[in-house]
Amino acid sequence: MNATVELQDLAVWHGTRMLVSPLDLRFSAGEAITILGESGSGKSLLAHAIMGTTASNLKASGVLRCEGRVYDLADPANRRQMWGREMAILPQEPAIALDPTMRTLPQVAEGLRITPLAGKADEHARERLGRLGLAGKEHHFPHTLSGGMAQRVAFAAATISGARFLIADEPTKGLDSIARDDLGELLREHVAQGNLLLTITHDIDLARQLGGRVLVMRDSEIVEQGSAEQVLNHPREAYTRSLLAAAPAAWDDIEHASPGELLIRARGLSKRFPPLTLFSDLHVDLHAGERVALLAPSGTGKTTLGNVLLGLLPADAGSIRYAPHLKHGSMQKLYQDPVTAFAPRLTLRRAFEDLCRRHRLDTGLVGPFLERLRLPAALLDRLPSQVSGGELQRLALIRALLLKPRVVFADEPTSRLDPVTQKDTFRCLVEELKAVGCALLLVTHDETLAAKTSHRTVRLECDLVAA
Amino acid sequence: MQNKDEDKELRKLQKLFLSGSCWQRLGTLLVIAVALFAVVAPMIWPDYAGQDLSRFLESPSIAEPLGRDQLGRSVIARLARASRISLGLSLCCVLTAALLGGVLGVVSSWRGGWIDTLLRSFSDAMLALPGLLVVLIFSAMTLGGFWTLYTGLAMAQWVEYYRLVRARSRLILSSPHVEAARLLGFGPLYIVRCHLWPELRPLLLTLMAFGLATAVLALSTLGYIGVGLQPPTPELGLMMTEAFPHYHEAPRLAVAPVALLALTLSGLILMQGKGVAR
Amino acid sequence: MIASSVITMGALSRRIAGQRLVQFVLVTLVVCSLCFLIVQQLPGDVAFRIAAGRYGYDYVTADAAEAVRRELGLDLPAWQQFVRWVGRTLSGDFGVSLVTGVGVATELGEHLRNTFELALSSLFLAMLVGLPVGVLSGLRPGGGLDRLTLAWTVAARALPAFMFGLLLILVFSVHLEWFPVAGNEEGGTLLLPTITLAAGLAGLMARIVRDNVIQVTASEYYRFALYKGLSPASVFFRHGLRNIGVTSITYAGMQLILLLEGVVVVESLFAWPGLGHALVHSVFWRDVPMIQGCALMMAWLFVGMNTVTDLACLAIDPRGRRE
Repeated sequence: MNATVELQDLAVWHGTRMLVSPLDLRFSAGEAITILGESGSGKSLLAHAIMGTTASNLKASGVLRCEGRVYDLADPANRRQMWGREMAILPQEPAIALDPTMRTLPQVAEGLRITPLAGKADEHARERLGRLGLAGKEHHFPHTLSGGMAQRVAFAAATISGARFLIADEPTKGLDSIARDDLGELLREHVAQGNLLLTITHDIDLARQLGGRVLVMRDSEIVEQGSAEQVLNHPREAYTRSLLAAAPAAWDDIEHASPGELLIRARGLSKRFPPLTLFSDLHVDLHAGERVALLAPSGTGKTTLGNVLLGLLPADAGSIRYAPHLKHGSMQKLYQDPVTAFAPRLTLRRAFEDLCRRHRLDTGLVGPFLERLRLPAALLDRLPSQVSGGELQRLALIRALLLKPRVVFADEPTSRLDPVTQKDTFRCLVEELKAVGCALLLVTHDETLAAKTSHRTVRLECDLVAA
Repeated sequence: MQNKDEDKELRKLQKLFLSGSCWQRLGTLLVIAVALFAVVAPMIWPDYAGQDLSRFLESPSIAEPLGRDQLGRSVIARLARASRISLGLSLCCVLTAALLGGVLGVVSSWRGGWIDTLLRSFSDAMLALPGLLVVLIFSAMTLGGFWTLYTGLAMAQWVEYYRLVRARSRLILSSPHVEAARLLGFGPLYIVRCHLWPELRPLLLTLMAFGLATAVLALSTLGYIGVGLQPPTPELGLMMTEAFPHYHEAPRLAVAPVALLALTLSGLILMQGKGVAR
Repeated sequence: MIASSVITMGALSRRIAGQRLVQFVLVTLVVCSLCFLIVQQLPGDVAFRIAAGRYGYDYVTADAAEAVRRELGLDLPAWQQFVRWVGRTLSGDFGVSLVTGVGVATELGEHLRNTFELALSSLFLAMLVGLPVGVLSGLRPGGGLDRLTLAWTVAARALPAFMFGLLLILVFSVHLEWFPVAGNEEGGTLLLPTITLAAGLAGLMARIVRDNVIQVTASEYYRFALYKGLSPASVFFRHGLRNIGVTSITYAGMQLILLLEGVVVVESLFAWPGLGHALVHSVFWRDVPMIQGCALMMAWLFVGMNTVTDLACLAIDPRGRRE
């Protein structure tokens, strides 16, 4: 395949509404192109338009030029022949992109069935998996792999047939820092070998790692483009600047008030979900007004530890002592996906009223909170599913704060949100808790976030003691 | 605030009824038509048992739209009475089964422990007996007795409600919003009322429509085989059996109950929409 | 996501076998209790009636009725009777038919064979027609075939087995006189009952398979396989079939219920001498040992078939049985 792919006047339409404004893109060998943007900007649609897999109610328009051939983007079927052979796409959520009833090796090897190497498919697949650090996992089923491993398997499966043009659509969604770095390395290697790469993401660290060219997308339009060095370090547009400022590394330091009395003292905590040991002989202290981060890669029991500390789950061993005035309602929890934290068929207004009635609170208390957190009062008349993630998380915060808690356990409260929303929501969270002197127990997989926001970090590796 | 909520609920119900797929609307109309027939028709043609052998297989007239049968009885009166009995008995059975199964399902999923194990084992045992078998065995007690049929049908159906309600409740009770509600200090009654019931209600309604069809069918099947409601009680299946020998002379005797049964069942099934396999 | 604990297949199969064994025992207890209740419920003169059924109304005496009463053990206190009852059943003594006087176990053997014949041939026919139709409808949702299967499923539920069977009899036996109606000879008489039973089953099967095909072909992993460049046909065979099978088998229980209930109805309708037919007759005549024998046999059959499907499910789906 010759080294360039060109897109001309690429646009995506929903009826007469433009979801992606016409743009031109030129891909060259060895140069990574990254499209940076938030959800709703239309960047995923771009990937699908190139591949030819837009949803049936959308229309793509424009032209794709590759190796002297010209393809009309409006006809999705004309690029099918290129799938796997010249173009490949890395799935967003590898956990569901792998067939749950098929083992890893055949799923990776089958990409070679369309190439002349079909005879030695298994050997090549084994070798590929080995190079990705997955030796020994050939006979595993997808549900036994972690998020990072599954993404690497998907990478192997997508690229094994030698497609030179790789499209990665939000490849690091849900991955912790280590897995993210690993995947970034893989993508860099792919480009370094003289291939073409298009990455679509809202993860700025990934963009930095990949280098090449960066385009910033907002509301269906490209607002800025240039080399990675230039865009990420010396942005020209205000939007790009705000996007970059949203990454935890760029946050202002939060001042730490000195912690007050001891609220929770946990000693020697252990918990097993056989055959895994989540943590053993762990010591955690929490003082009033303090912010403590529980840090660990995904899936190693941070949520469980929080639940144990909150008294929602019993530990297998160890003891927890609570300050005497820490009674019911003094410990509250914020959930990763705020939609699941509200009764799905009650309007928010009803939920708040019920809460006030239960605790004999004045409903007028809610108003000032809404104002401070910049939430329109009209939101209350909606159902939880009709409110955006960031706003809903802030409403959940208000709900918790109404009971004047002493401890709030926040389980990855912003990981599902866009960077700008994340920064905003987190700031609200910290400010409100500081105002009432409430302690925060934060679960996160983002080291920078932990470092920037918390007094202390408790690191969870199985069998290790707190830092 | 309450009124506004209720207003919204009513509007939602209206929307559901008026804007559902046209098949669903047809189904609902059919069911309403049959229900009306069952309620009103026995009042217009009340005499379903009076025999008059001189009017053997009399042809339809204005007073008797379906004529008379082999014993001179009014066919439409029998049909009306049979439909009232079928629907009435089936409705009672379904309501009982839903109440019993639903309550036990919630209790089972809430308390867990030995109550759960006990109820589950019992329901598993009942599962091994297809509904018809259970009703058959019960009907052996008093052939054609109302109470035994009622008990049999309810016993045959409650297991399904129990299992589905239990499964759904377990899911809901372990979900974040219930955990949050507990942390926020809400008690069990609130959780049942505002978290469980809104999720269970559509499930129960669908099951009940399905169950009604099954119960009506089971009654007719039993009647047809001869171990259900006994003559002279009019019953759709029974009427079909009795009509068979006279098929050549008066096909309407067989067609009428068949048509009514088919319409009732079609209506109930169409009402549920696309989901045939739950 | 915590990597799920790796439980071996062996352990899962043992767990399934254990659960089914418990179900087996419990259902036996339930049926025995119900039948015992029936016996307790029998008003005095029914013992008389049963004796009359045996000897004829003209020859029956009070002694004969008394003998029947003693046979059923109606003269002992209730709990003793129950223990005796269960004990006898579990030791394999199903008693003697109150109507024919022949041992229940002997008769059951013959009935079982006939029911098997009917059930297996219906299942086979239903799968032959239902599975391909379901797959084809699912691959083209909303198309002509799809609408046909929907109509068929609705019709199959609205026009239940006995009405459909009646229709078939009317058309083929009465009007056209192609097949004999009832009895039990080779070929001819098996055909109508089989078609009747298979029709409803096939409709349900087609619908279930169709729903699963749609779900699977729209799934992420199916599309990912296509993006890898594999042809639609090979994706269907490599990824589609197994996943469709897995999800369809979980509905097997529902189909088995339909099968068993249908067997009872169809056998009665066509006078096919199987378990269902015997059960209905014994209910009519209050032949309690026979009722119990038939019901137990059918229940055990059901538990057995469910065990087989559970294990098949396990063999295909590596994630083990989902609740």
